[in-house]
Amino acid sequence: MKKIIATLAVVLCFVGTALAQDNLDFERKKAIDSLALEKVRDLSKYIKIAGSKDTPFSEANRVIDRAEELFMNDAEIGVSSLSSNTITYYRVRKYFEHLMRLNYDRVEIEWYNIEYVSDLQRQPDGTYVGVITIFQTFRGYDAEGNLQYKDTTKKDITVYVKRKETQIGGRTIGFWDVLLGDMRVKETTNR
Amino acid sequence: MKNRITTVIMVLLAVFVTLGGNTSCKSKKKLAKEAAEAEYKSKVDQSVNDLNAILDDESLWTLEEKEARVQTIKDWNLQNAEVDDLLLQVEKKLARERAQKEEEERIEAQHQQQEQSVNATLENNFSSIARAGSTSQANRIINETLGLFESKNVPVLIIIKQNAGFNDYDRPTTIENYLNYLKDQKKATEKIFEIKYNTNGKINELELIKK
Repeated sequence: MKKIIATLAVVLCFVGTALAQDNLDFERKKAIDSLALEKVRDLSKYIKIAGSKDTPFSEANRVIDRAEELFMNDAEIGVSSLSSNTITYYRVRKYFEHLMRLNYDRVEIEWYNIEYVSDLQRQPDGTYVGVITIFQTFRGYDAEGNLQYKDTTKKDITVYVKRKETQIGGRTIGFWDVLLGDMRVKETTNR
Repeated sequence: MKNRITTVIMVLLAVFVTLGGNTSCKSKKKLAKEAAEAEYKSKVDQSVNDLNAILDDESLWTLEEKEARVQTIKDWNLQNAEVDDLLLQVEKKLARERAQKEEEERIEAQHQQQEQSVNATLENNFSSIARAGSTSQANRIINETLGLFESKNVPVLIIIKQNAGFNDYDRPTTIENYLNYLKDQKKATEKIFEIKYNTNGKINELELIKK
């Protein structure tokens, strides 16, 4: 009987710790919200670096690798244009390759107003899902430095945050894996 | 006649008192001598036991406690051949232990100093990479920094939040990717939490924490 009680106590202790690690209080939730926002900001820098004509090819390729790691495997990025009503969706690497091939001598890409439109909500499988919106201003210049094209696009990015575990140096590390899903074009204007 | 009897009794009484007192005095001296001998024997036995325990590493005393014990035994000045022989052996052993301990403390202090120096170098390099004026300048500092690590694949853990009893981490990365991240993002928002070294003094695990 004593053995059963002791075993139950140990099991409950482990379950309690596991639940404590999965259930988020306000401060932990805030840290994870910030982490997901930071990943989106990181992506904006990668897009800026890869899009810049000054970036060496090897550096651009390395940055694309890093950017790909931010996304889920089958994620797509929407691309719009003022000259067309069609929105084309590319896989992440294809999107970056498309960006690098744009026919401008200089490209400026700025992201701003990066914020949650839908807070991270816990799903039945334990994944937290939210939507972050961003505004992107794109400017393309010719060799003389004349502005050839400019648009501002509002995009929604779905973010998935899941607690995972890995072994490092013989110990188990519990980490929050933030992955970006599709980046959907919501609106494109000439502002 | 009556006077003669009285005188004889008085003389006899004086003899008894004198003899009795003398016997009692001799008994006290004997007891004191026996007590001193017992105390000496007890000290010798205790010294032999303690010194043997130190020699055979059977005591739970710290080095300082052992040294204090030896000093107490020396202060007793027992002048016992067995105790003197054991004292000689124990003093040699404790001198070796003291030298070893001092060497360990010196190495530990050296490690601490080295770690503080590595911490400062790393944090300085992190911000230099983030603030580098060009890709080539950042790459030069990255290569210099990688020299402190066992390999470019050394794991880097980033604590995003400390909780009661456990930490929340970001997805683990490698030192090469982390240094490039600083270059790409042009920001160094983490500070060093813990560094682990291999036997060659190279870093083989780095733990950072969000500022």
